[in-house]
Amino acid sequence: MMTPRPILSSLRRHKIAAFLIVLEIALAFAIVSNAVYMVIGRLQRIDLRSGIDERGLVLLRLATASKQNGSVASAQTDLATLRAIPGVESASAINTLPLSGSQWSLAYSLRPMRAFSDGVQVPVFFGGPGLLQTLGIRVIQGSAFQPSAYSDLSPKDVFKAFVNARQALITQAFAQRLWPHASAVGKVMYMGETPVLVVGVVSNIIQPYIGADAHDPANYYGVISPFRAGPDLNAWYALRCQPAACARVLKAGAAKLQAMHPTETLNAQESFTHMRQRYFRDDRSMAWLLVSTVIALLGVTAIGIVGLASFWVQQRTRQIGVRRALGARRIDILRYFQTENFLLATAGIALGCAAAIGINVWLMAHYAVPRLPVMYLPLGALLLWGLGQLAVLGPALRAARVAPTVAMRSA
Amino acid sequence: MFTYYLRLALRALRNSPVLTALMVLALAVGIGASMTMLTVLHVLSGDPLPGRSAHLYYPQVDPRPLARGSDGNPEPPGLLTYIDAENLLHQGKAARAALMYQGGDVVQPPSGSALHPFVVNSRLTGRDFFSMFEVPFRYGAPWSAADDAGAAHVAVISQKLDRKLFGGADSVGRMLDFGGHSFRIVGVLAHWRPVPRFYDVDSSRYGEVEDVFIPFNTARALNLGVEGSTNCYGRPGKDLDTSPCGFIQMWVQLDSRPAAAAYRRFLADYSAQQHAAGRFQRPPNVRLDDLMQWLAYNHVVPEDVRMQAWLALGFLLVCVVNTVGLLLAKFLRRSGEIGVRRALGASRRAIFAQLLIEAGMIGAAGALLGLLLTWLGLWAVRQQPSDYARLAHLQPAMLVATLLLALLASLVAGLLPAWRASRIAPALQIKSA
Amino acid sequence: MLDMREIAKVYRTETIETHALRGFTLSVREGEFVAVTGPSGSGKTTFLTIAGLLEDFNSGEYILDGVNVHGMNDDQRSRLRNEKIGFVFQAFNLIPDLNVLDNVEVPLHYRRGIGAAERRKRAIGALERVGLSARMRHYPAELSGGQQQRAAIARALAGSPRLLLADEPTGNLDTAMARGVMELIEELHREGATVVMVTHDPDLAARAERNVHIVDGMATGILEEPRFRPSLRERTGTDVPHGGA
Repeated sequence: MMTPRPILSSLRRHKIAAFLIVLEIALAFAIVSNAVYMVIGRLQRIDLRSGIDERGLVLLRLATASKQNGSVASAQTDLATLRAIPGVESASAINTLPLSGSQWSLAYSLRPMRAFSDGVQVPVFFGGPGLLQTLGIRVIQGSAFQPSAYSDLSPKDVFKAFVNARQALITQAFAQRLWPHASAVGKVMYMGETPVLVVGVVSNIIQPYIGADAHDPANYYGVISPFRAGPDLNAWYALRCQPAACARVLKAGAAKLQAMHPTETLNAQESFTHMRQRYFRDDRSMAWLLVSTVIALLGVTAIGIVGLASFWVQQRTRQIGVRRALGARRIDILRYFQTENFLLATAGIALGCAAAIGINVWLMAHYAVPRLPVMYLPLGALLLWGLGQLAVLGPALRAARVAPTVAMRSA
Repeated sequence: MFTYYLRLALRALRNSPVLTALMVLALAVGIGASMTMLTVLHVLSGDPLPGRSAHLYYPQVDPRPLARGSDGNPEPPGLLTYIDAENLLHQGKAARAALMYQGGDVVQPPSGSALHPFVVNSRLTGRDFFSMFEVPFRYGAPWSAADDAGAAHVAVISQKLDRKLFGGADSVGRMLDFGGHSFRIVGVLAHWRPVPRFYDVDSSRYGEVEDVFIPFNTARALNLGVEGSTNCYGRPGKDLDTSPCGFIQMWVQLDSRPAAAAYRRFLADYSAQQHAAGRFQRPPNVRLDDLMQWLAYNHVVPEDVRMQAWLALGFLLVCVVNTVGLLLAKFLRRSGEIGVRRALGASRRAIFAQLLIEAGMIGAAGALLGLLLTWLGLWAVRQQPSDYARLAHLQPAMLVATLLLALLASLVAGLLPAWRASRIAPALQIKSA
Repeated sequence: MLDMREIAKVYRTETIETHALRGFTLSVREGEFVAVTGPSGSGKTTFLTIAGLLEDFNSGEYILDGVNVHGMNDDQRSRLRNEKIGFVFQAFNLIPDLNVLDNVEVPLHYRRGIGAAERRKRAIGALERVGLSARMRHYPAELSGGQQQRAAIARALAGSPRLLLADEPTGNLDTAMARGVMELIEELHREGATVVMVTHDPDLAARAERNVHIVDGMATGILEEPRFRPSLRERTGTDVPHGGA
């Protein structure tokens, strides 16, 4: 409808104002596209699959004075009591949990190694035969540990014994890392110089502590070792409960444990869902902060566009009247200002694209920010175009209301 | 003249209240957002021990075996093994030195107390910890050198724990049941919260200090467990102290540059000697960062916060550009009036000054509103669950900076529009639009 | 061509009701050159805005080139205005941001079915007719008043209108320039254009074929003998001033 050329030649006569709008849109575009990308990155982290059955999992942890109590044997008694609570389907004492933020890890390699740094650092989960059922982990290939494979770990021998496990279950992601083209079951990997037999492959479990890149498959590397643990190793009591009963189970479990151990104290008592939320709280805060910044930024940009567009409309009232007298319909005037804004926004977006990529390259160099996918640029462009059109609508409608008789007034 | 300009500016602002309000709002939002984030950055990246930090150093040696691959970090590990820590403590020449690690255990309240047992974190360290970091005491004093050497069962507790257990009374001389052992309390700290909690970057970096302090030797003798990280570089032995596992932080006080240089040489010599003896496989690989270097090396300020600060600056830039645009619109709208003023004898300089004052007034209003928004923003930050969030308070320096920044931003933003408007040619009539 | 019967136009504000036109009747034939005169406030401008379809009127009938315009909505009037009327304003009303050529093209942008090449051709043709083709890249501010008015006339001609409406076309010009512009209008008329010119200047009015005097919103119908009879009109049988075609 409106061809851009006359609009462009008109803009050439208002270089400063046009340049300011372009600059503002470019800056907003560069910042917004990077920020939106970061927000989406955070949201993807928050939504990461944990690989365990999160519904109906509650956690208790007993703090034991100087680790003199809370051995595996006392843990078995505690677990038996906890299993007796109505609504509890299974219970297990586990050294660490996905997204708990604290992990035990060992380095594994396909060849014997002297330095641990030659292997792949992988978190190790252990917790007796109930672990798989309680967390809801499936055995995909091979089999779970034989009951005879299990041994007890205590603080006294933990350093020596922990590294001496001879069997392991490994997650699918880790199996693929070690043996991309073959089944891992029956293969041997090395922890230092100790050979470790892989007896089975289990469904992926996310690590207790995940890296900056949510998409890294290494987040799902994991090894399960055939050990039993007690509160003296800071083990968690994990209870699988019928989802409706979980709140009650948690309360009852806490009361029972406290009654059984009057000189000790519970330092954790929560659902897994809660722990997960706690783990991602910084990501959530950051996402909120980025979102509010983006909204504020878009608001400020819109204010700028409204201000300059209103000024332009006011300044051009007479020529709008003339155009109307020469036969322009209201919609033609509306479109003129919309097209003008679209052209300015396009220039701003083009400039902003370059800046966005520049900022991203800089962020990549200095922070753990991955490359900005190209699809975010059109997304940002749509956002800014939309914003521009929205902001210019008011002033443009005002322009369209200018009466053609304005042209008749003598100057 | 100035007051006349001021009156003119006021009238001009009153004449276009919507545009004026929009400009003030846009500027205030920019100031508020950026000052909020910069205040957080400022709080988090401050010097925890001003005046002393330049003399405090963190020594590192590299006891790791040679790696087959080259994927290992070339820098020495951040934690010392027990053997190296003891050697460095006894062989190194430093004004003060302390080994330390974090533990955690159950405190058994005194009999008769209504309290349940509870878990607190402990710092297991030497007496120099207190003097080196100038830790303030409310009651008592650090334990003695003899207590360190003799692994005495003594403890210093935090003010918080003293309040909880003893109602804030002078508890020096009383007994603390911690982790199933009994310790005689020799001191109670006054309020102390270094930000960041620099001395241990492996645990909560912006958390509170520990509640219980016990001599390092006592902790090792009682085998009090490690609550922080334990990194083994090779196959562990029977116990932690003989294993190639790092879990100890060490701080030394070196009062002069030569002393620091000498200590660095000592670290290299020590490494060479261990290498020759076959205990270290790698050639000497040492670091000796001072406090602020150590914080920077460990990226203690959360990346999120740094990114926010950049975001804030970008935001401010957008707001300034926005203000430039709006001021331009505002000034050029009055072309007619300006033309007549010029015709009546106002110089370009006078027009420029008048308009810049108008910009400055918008800046002043933006500053006040921006300050309010900063205060609100920091309140919002404090509602976030992060450890550091609760530290985000407006400081006097930042308050002044906020006001100056807003004023400066508006004046910078006003330069171009005021210049442009001052170029308007004198006119004898006010043309209708 | 233009047929107004019993036109009434009332402007209302909260306090005042102004009868700008009442029972105004005027008929202009194809190819005629009519001057509308009258003292200030007589309703000249109101006549012009209604004749030019800039405003609707309250009662009466107005038939422009066979089209009854009463009750048309804004868009329909804009369309008709664009196709049938060429405006020449006292203040020229060129758009300062556009060069002369772009200015002349403005009305063509609002007409359907004209491509860029055709638009350009017509605009250049119109500029050639007013003798301004050498200046078409200039901006209005770079031209004299007379040249600006010529450009404005070219703009009015570019759309090949049925009717030229001129509002004090020489009001902002000095005598020499005014003469040139008047001669141009007369020439256009000789070539067949229908011209209605509003002016307060009796000398100018005297150059038209017929004068209509407005007093208090009514045409008093003072008729004068036309000074000359254009022969072209009879010969060509058209009253369309051609752009460049």
